Amino acid sequence: MSRKPEEASCRLTIDGREIVVAADTPVIDAAERLGIMIPRFCYHPALGAVGACRMCAVKFLDGPVKGLQMSCMVGARDGMVVSTTNPEAVDFRRQVVEWLMANHPHDCPVCDEGGHCLLQDETISGGHALRRYRGPKRTYRDQDLGPFVAHEMNRCIHCYRCARFYQEVAGGRDYGVLSIARRTYFGRYEGGRLESPFAGNIIDLCPTGTLTDKPSRYRARRWDLERGPSVCLHCSLGCGLTVGARYREVMKLEARLNPEVNGHFICDRGRYGFGYESRPDRPRQPRVDGRETIAGAALAALAEGLKPFEAGKVAMVGGTRSNLETLAALLGLCRDQGWRPPVFFRDARLAGAAESAAAALSGDLVASLADVGRADVILVVCADPLAEAPMLALSLRRAARRGAAVLVLDHRPCDLPCEAERLTFAPQELAGCLSRLAHAALRGRKEAAAYLSSLPLPPDLLPETALALDTWGKRLAEARFPLVVCGTDQAEPTLPALAGGLARLLAGSHDQDRRAGFLPLLPGPNGLAAALAGGGDLEALLADIEDGRATALLVVESDLLSRTPEPERWLAALRKLKLLAVCDHLPSPLLEAAHVVLPSRTVFEAGGHFVNQEGRLQRAMPVFSPGLPMGRTLREGHPPRLFMSCAPGSEPRPAADWLKDLAGLLGAGGRAGDWADLAAAFPGLPGLAAGPAPENGRRCLPETAPGADAPSVAKTGSPDVPPDHLQVLLVERTFGTEELSCRAPLLAASAPEPWVDLAAADAGKAGLAHGAWLLVPLPGGPLRARLRVHQDMAPGLLLLPRDPRLLWQRLAGTGVLVELLRLHAITAEEEPAGEDTTLEAEP
Amino acid sequence: MPLKPDFEPVLFKNRRGDRPATFDEYRQGGGYEALLATVGKKSPEEVVRMVTAAGLTGRGGAGFPTGRKWAGVPASAPYPRYVQPNTDEMEPGTFKDRILVNADPHLVIEGIILCAYAVKAQRGIFFIRPSYESDAQLIERELAVARAAGFLGSGILGSDFSFELSVHRSAGRYICGEATAQVNAIQGLRPNPVKAPGAHLTEAGLWGRPTVVNNVETLASVPHILTRGPEWYKSLAATPTGDGTKLYCVSGKVARPGCYELPMGTRLSDIIYEHAGGMLPGGTFKACLPGGASTAFMPETLFDIPMDFPSLKAVGHHLGTASMIVFDKNTCLLAATINIIRFFVRESCGWCTPCREGLPVILDILERIEAGEAGEADVAWLETMTRQLHHAYCAFAPGAAAPIEGLLRHFRDEVMDHLDGRGCPFGAPELADKPGAWHLPKGGRP
Ligand SMILES: Cc1cc2nc3c(=O)[nH]c(=O)nc-3n(C[C@H](O)[C@H](O)[C@H](O)COP(=O)(O)O)c2cc1C
Ligand code: SF4
Ligand code: SF4
Ligand code: SF4
Ligand code: FES
Repeated sequence: MSRKPEEASCRLTIDGREIVVAADTPVIDAAERLGIMIPRFCYHPALGAVGACRMCAVKFLDGPVKGLQMSCMVGARDGMVVSTTNPEAVDFRRQVVEWLMANHPHDCPVCDEGGHCLLQDETISGGHALRRYRGPKRTYRDQDLGPFVAHEMNRCIHCYRCARFYQEVAGGRDYGVLSIARRTYFGRYEGGRLESPFAGNIIDLCPTGTLTDKPSRYRARRWDLERGPSVCLHCSLGCGLTVGARYREVMKLEARLNPEVNGHFICDRGRYGFGYESRPDRPRQPRVDGRETIAGAALAALAEGLKPFEAGKVAMVGGTRSNLETLAALLGLCRDQGWRPPVFFRDARLAGAAESAAAALSGDLVASLADVGRADVILVVCADPLAEAPMLALSLRRAARRGAAVLVLDHRPCDLPCEAERLTFAPQELAGCLSRLAHAALRGRKEAAAYLSSLPLPPDLLPETALALDTWGKRLAEARFPLVVCGTDQAEPTLPALAGGLARLLAGSHDQDRRAGFLPLLPGPNGLAAALAGGGDLEALLADIEDGRATALLVVESDLLSRTPEPERWLAALRKLKLLAVCDHLPSPLLEAAHVVLPSRTVFEAGGHFVNQEGRLQRAMPVFSPGLPMGRTLREGHPPRLFMSCAPGSEPRPAADWLKDLAGLLGAGGRAGDWADLAAAFPGLPGLAAGPAPENGRRCLPETAPGADAPSVAKTGSPDVPPDHLQVLLVERTFGTEELSCRAPLLAASAPEPWVDLAAADAGKAGLAHGAWLLVPLPGGPLRARLRVHQDMAPGLLLLPRDPRLLWQRLAGTGVLVELLRLHAITAEEEPAGEDTTLEAEP
Repeated sequence: MPLKPDFEPVLFKNRRGDRPATFDEYRQGGGYEALLATVGKKSPEEVVRMVTAAGLTGRGGAGFPTGRKWAGVPASAPYPRYVQPNTDEMEPGTFKDRILVNADPHLVIEGIILCAYAVKAQRGIFFIRPSYESDAQLIERELAVARAAGFLGSGILGSDFSFELSVHRSAGRYICGEATAQVNAIQGLRPNPVKAPGAHLTEAGLWGRPTVVNNVETLASVPHILTRGPEWYKSLAATPTGDGTKLYCVSGKVARPGCYELPMGTRLSDIIYEHAGGMLPGGTFKACLPGGASTAFMPETLFDIPMDFPSLKAVGHHLGTASMIVFDKNTCLLAATINIIRFFVRESCGWCTPCREGLPVILDILERIEAGEAGEADVAWLETMTRQLHHAYCAFAPGAAAPIEGLLRHFRDEVMDHLDGRGCPFGAPELADKPGAWHLPKGGRP
């Protein structure tokens, strides 16, 4: 693919006003830039023009194109004179609406799209009021498309947006167009749950009430909603969301356009990951020693309780799901009080990987999600896009559809909605493989010498594998825009640094107008800020608590008990603490153990800033004020007839406020807690100094990363796996494992049954079949789960999702090995009936 | 066989009436001589030049110059390239391709191979409607014979020209005859037409490669152009504006309906009276559709028009597939139009609004007029909507508009006679048996 020599611009006239746009800009977009909104149904900037609905007709009066034409299908050219108000065009558009409405059920008053329906708007603004068509209307049969998307085919205007998104953009195969002529049908071959994890986008795209959000159906009309811009917290990409809430409850989330991040779309984990904010078991009341109290008393008790402690024995645990304000307050507390540095990550490996990814990032190298779609050769190393950052998978597909080559180096059976080459290696081999590939890519490059010499030796490889790595190395070297994606969830600590170093040197090999990109995935929506703030790991802290080196613990928005593979050990350690305070909005066994509980607000109530994986500062607005969902306060069907200055259940405060007030009580020398303090807390993000985030966010990374060229690579200790043993790896899944969304009732109720993965070679040896119920002997007791067997997965591994519906915490340790032959399938009689497999299946 | 031809038949040279001509019969009559004289002897460019010089126009309905289409494959275009002979032939009233394939399959096959040679194609996909199953089998059988003779396959006639041809059976919808929809259909996609600004099948068709779509009648004309020369071919026509000979289909109220090969530009009156035996006893000519259902009714006043593309265009009509459907004075043309529009309503591909939603509304109005339930405002609305069909996505909807336009242009009085409760002067035959999905409850409004 070659770039156009230069973007030619052209000048055209629309409704008497001149505008200069890039040649070939669709006239419908050129008009929009002038503020003239030409009616449209099938056209959507993310789907392109297909000329199906014929709604955007305008008259071309002069220039290279003449007559009535579809403004979405005609590219701008010099000298075009366009009229959108020409009577012939207006009459034609009115007729198109009349045709579309001929079969429409006219059920706006009971339709959930009513009030934000494009069809309604165009019908009313076009002046079509009386139906002249006197024939019988068409009637379709609707389908059950699963828990999220409601289907009312009679309202369909056949704009094809849904099918184009589902098949072309998302790569789904189970939803599309059926039949022809006026029977043309949008649905599945048979009713059933939509399979694509991006299916929810067809709700946003559908310009009518055909496809609507099922969970919020009949619960709120558009004009009832309190709506506000927000950011998705279910992975590090930070996709844009619009929150819609009513009666102190989130009703639905929609994708919010952020061109450099998610574009127009989001994944279903993001769309349906809410609901944790209104769980009945959400902590809402401050508590001291198990007794409910008021905020001031709880804070005073905590401040008082902390006084006797030696500063070095007080530890803080932070969460990567907290907003930047909270992280800054937490860092400030630790620093000012001389407490131990805060801890954010579950283990040393993850902390190391996150820190090395953060260190490799800089403004001149970092790639946005939109950049993925622009790259032509993409290397994905140690990342399972659909599981760790679902929208990345959509961007990879976008790139692949534009002709990009994609290579995935990972140990898991990564399922991608696009063509990609897969090479599978054990996690500890990945650095060596990357090394082989980097040598091929950077051969003969003087400036790469230091980097290449820092790389580990490649493992013994099959000749064809070595050849494939060499080929991909050359491809990267020759690419116009090579891009390296690296995960952290499963990566050895040095791997992201190696991946970032490769990307940096690839960029260096290019002419001025070429570039390379690095896109690390980080743990959690504020994982980058946490990594830059020093990371820290819970394993080390656990040992310190056990040894009495830490005796007071403050946990802020980190669900450590439900996330650790060693819950028993943690519980025992927590009992040794003299003081445990927890500030969170998620219910957790940790709260029961705490001396002081400070309920915090969720992102929907507190808002706040988040820095995504590309260092983009983004802001979520508070959308509604906290309190029990109205529905739960009703007495005899009516809200309480009491005069109160606040809503019941509105005690939760932003975590940052709790911490700032605590700092005040502890006499922290009057910190103002303003933006300048926040910026100062993160020297690794110099861009914070420019103030709060604008609408689409702002990159805050330093322009260059000194010292990232030759990362120092320490040898990492990976378990030596004895033959016929499996290394048990905890993994993420698209649904059911992420910290917040696994508490979302909608997802919990509908996520596919959790399963464990095994490579085909191992399954063969153990005589285990795909789909069998498996009994896995774990140190903490047996685990029962369904088995999936994969060809494209590294052998010697058992992949176990951190899904609360599985007894994965019976792992009771890290680096656990199980003997392959001790896995066995359960016979039909032993097969558990549904609920047996689930541990306190939460919601 | 009717009448002496006062010209030498070209396409029907080997037509026997009872069975297809065999390979040997075709060879004896000079078949495959064009191929022998071309492969390795003429350059592909030379072939394109000759076809262009012959003025051969596409016989699939649009009358596009064939030489120009072939020259549209850029010299630098990638391989493999495809030839896609079009035998979908679902245009109502059209049956010439079937008769041609049945009369002389090797003429068609030779034409396809020559086209492939001219555009340097490696693969041919013979697209045929499913109701022509016996013809599909015939072609498959004869392809094997041609292959055995070394006219197909790799290294044809010892040259480095290789070409494979296979038969693709359509799923059977009218829109699959449209070239771009057909490309989609062959690739296993929905047969929606594709219109991207500046995109041509000759540059990017099947699987993104150059693809030449031609009607089989067009392709069958090529061997003769190459053996006898462009000048000779051009001189076959009855008019200076025509080219070669044409297969005219005649159906309707005539004595001898059938397919006749005649010089392009033969007068309509001659076709009907001299060749098709005139009107059925007792009938008088009222109108005809000159080129299948997607052309407009032509009235008596145009009875002597030469039937070629430019002559018809000059009077605002269209030759289409040159398939005349003839109506007599006892036929309600509104009823005939309803019949045709039902076909279009059913066959719309469903992509764009005017066609998918507009045609059923138009049909409803037509039926109401026929039933006497409509007034002048309805006719005005009908006329507006019909005009607006021209802004649909592909040529299907304008094709559907054509008979209505002809009806309103030449037979408006007849339409008006139906209005305001009067109903059909001919007895409303078209309202008796309405297909279920669009059934109009008796007595009007549901
Ligand atoms: C709705 C529609 C149906 C068509 N059906 C046929 C057909 O059945 N056979 C055919 O040869 N061309 C058909 N065509 C024309 C083709 O699109 C194409 O122009 C033709 O096959 C080109 O061949 P030619 O240049 O030899 O005429 C149809 C066009 C339209 C718009
Ligand atoms: S379901 Fe909605 S998006 Fe899909 S075609 Fe119908 S109106 Fe368009
Ligand atoms: S990709 Fe990540 S940030 Fe984006 S919507 Fe999905 S979970 Fe949220
Ligand atoms: S006019 Fe539109 S709906 Fe009709 S066949 Fe063409 S593309 Fe399909
Ligand atoms: S928006 Fe242009 S045709 Fe649909």
